[in-house]
Amino acid sequence: MTQLPAISADSRTDELLAIRCQLGEREAFDALIARWHEPVWRYLRRLTGSDDAAGDLTQDTWLRVLRGIASLREPASLRPWLFGIARRVAMDRLRRQYVRAADTDAVLDDIPAPEADATLESDLATLESKLETLPLRERETLALFYLRELSIEQIAALLAVPAGTVKSRLFRARQLLRNQFTGANP
Amino acid sequence: MTPQVKSLQDIRRLAGAELSLKARLGYVALLLMSTGMTVVIASLWLTETFLPLRAQLAFGVICLIGVSWATLAVWALSRRRPLFARDRVIAGGMAVTFTSVFVAGALTGAVIANNPAAYGALASGAVMLAIAIRVFVGARRRFTELAGRRAALEAG
Repeated sequence: MTQLPAISADSRTDELLAIRCQLGEREAFDALIARWHEPVWRYLRRLTGSDDAAGDLTQDTWLRVLRGIASLREPASLRPWLFGIARRVAMDRLRRQYVRAADTDAVLDDIPAPEADATLESDLATLESKLETLPLRERETLALFYLRELSIEQIAALLAVPAGTVKSRLFRARQLLRNQFTGANP
Repeated sequence: MTPQVKSLQDIRRLAGAELSLKARLGYVALLLMSTGMTVVIASLWLTETFLPLRAQLAFGVICLIGVSWATLAVWALSRRRPLFARDRVIAGGMAVTFTSVFVAGALTGAVIANNPAAYGALASGAVMLAIAIRVFVGARRRFTELAGRRAALEAG
């Protein structure tokens, strides 16, 4: 399985890439896309549970990134900025799909968690498949924290919730995940 | 082909179209030309005292068209084809060159023909040139800042 760039991602490399993009270097955009396309796609796949939807949303995300990176104020914050855009793109689509829902929380609760894929081979793949069985909010928080290496403060800013909420979602996600592995009831 | 790979190919095609320098500088040229044309027509319109109504209407329509094109260019450059630091330096250079030629033409018209419209165009051109110089200097400064930060990061 492909090693996720986020696991070994170096913020210096991200900042350098962002600055080269802001300068207008075409090769930097190619490198940025090569580095972050798959993590963004996986993140959106995890949020939507569909390959097709993830493909469409990834395209929308990159469109906004290409049009917005020139005005990115803090190139060092490339990673949370990128996933923030991906999340907004996904939420925009969910809002359109569930336009009658009263608020975003209701929308998120309505989204069924995809079934786990028991055939994956590596530990990471198994972990990802377990992650997919979690409720969307916990799944998203856990993925951003562990797989994308965002800090609690960055996730709180990205999700527009207090840091305490991020911590409680992480706690609940870990519990659910632990139950998944041990077979215990939640 | 996996969904990720297909998606990656789509994104690369998208980036190729989105990052076209030609399209960006095309909008810069459109902005400069439409602004210049509007200024010239507006100067003629406002300084010619005995224009028939039809001519005044025609000038008004041309000015409206010029403003519309300029608005479209500004919208495209801010929303659809934002300029990167290197593009801004090029665009700033284009703006300084264009407005300098414009001012030189208006100055020639004012001195040789003593035409009131040329004075109006000269005054407007001077303002445009000042703005262009400011944009160019700002673009150079921003480019230097980013290039410096890039060099520092690459040096480790």
